[in-house]
Amino acid sequence: MKGSYRQAEDSELVSASIAGDKLAFGEIVDRYRKMVARTVKGMLGDSVFAEDIGQEVFIKLYHSLSEFRGEAKLSTYIQKIAINLTLNEIKRRKRFFSMFSQKGNNEMYEYEIADFESEGKKDAAELVNKALMGLEPKFRIIVAMRMLQGYSTKETAEILELPLGTVLSRLSRAQEQLKKILKNL
Amino acid sequence: MKPSEIKSLILGSLDEKTDPETASRKLEEEGVSYDFSMGFSKRVTDRIFSVPEAVVNEIEFVKSMRFIFNRVALTGIAAIILLLVSLFLTEGSLTLNSFLGMGNTYDEGIVYLLTGN
Repeated sequence: MKGSYRQAEDSELVSASIAGDKLAFGEIVDRYRKMVARTVKGMLGDSVFAEDIGQEVFIKLYHSLSEFRGEAKLSTYIQKIAINLTLNEIKRRKRFFSMFSQKGNNEMYEYEIADFESEGKKDAAELVNKALMGLEPKFRIIVAMRMLQGYSTKETAEILELPLGTVLSRLSRAQEQLKKILKNL
Repeated sequence: MKPSEIKSLILGSLDEKTDPETASRKLEEEGVSYDFSMGFSKRVTDRIFSVPEAVVNEIEFVKSMRFIFNRVALTGIAAIILLLVSLFLTEGSLTLNSFLGMGNTYDEGIVYLLTGN
């Protein structure tokens, strides 16, 4: 089926994309770009790097489509790729910063918050970004999944392949960290 | 919405009792939305589906080289066959001596040619 894929099911788009249909894959990108942006930008902040990681997510998706068996939802599959690539980028940055700084991780996050404090306007998007960037990555991902994607705790646990108890405890600790961060903003 | 209200909304969205979808929708209404820049989809599909120019140039170069090699190889083979035929016709055999141009020369003849005696 060539032409418009607006009404097509995900499975149909996947099959057509595997066959090399550019339009079908373009529809997948259009359909899930905002979801990927919420994860990637929520975790990395609004930057050029986030845009690059976003592109990498869809490129990796395209190359792994033949492995997608349709057992899970396509959105979940994409979400997992987005989370993995974003966490890899965070690790890469952490390694990079650790080469130039003797500070511990917590100090690094404090530094990030302080840096944001010097900026001006405090609108909702900015507040959310500052709050998220001040969190440790393992808490940030849980918060981003719930606050930005609207996933329930159970869904978050499934996507992150973590026990429900771990997600709940991280959520509670993230809430405590957020309170401290927001108090300073 | 005041910053303090937004802060409450952020913290409230993490509350187990709050419906996460409602909280994320409320935040979106307040302008907390994420998207990539214009033309994102096109950039992604272009990166996947269009072959880079450098690769096209490389393919063209390899094709040209193969064409040239075929031409040169065929001409070379034809030239070698012609040479062998002409050697056989003039020298009567395809031995090493005939290759060296000494097919009908006797040893004494060579000595005579070299020394003049």
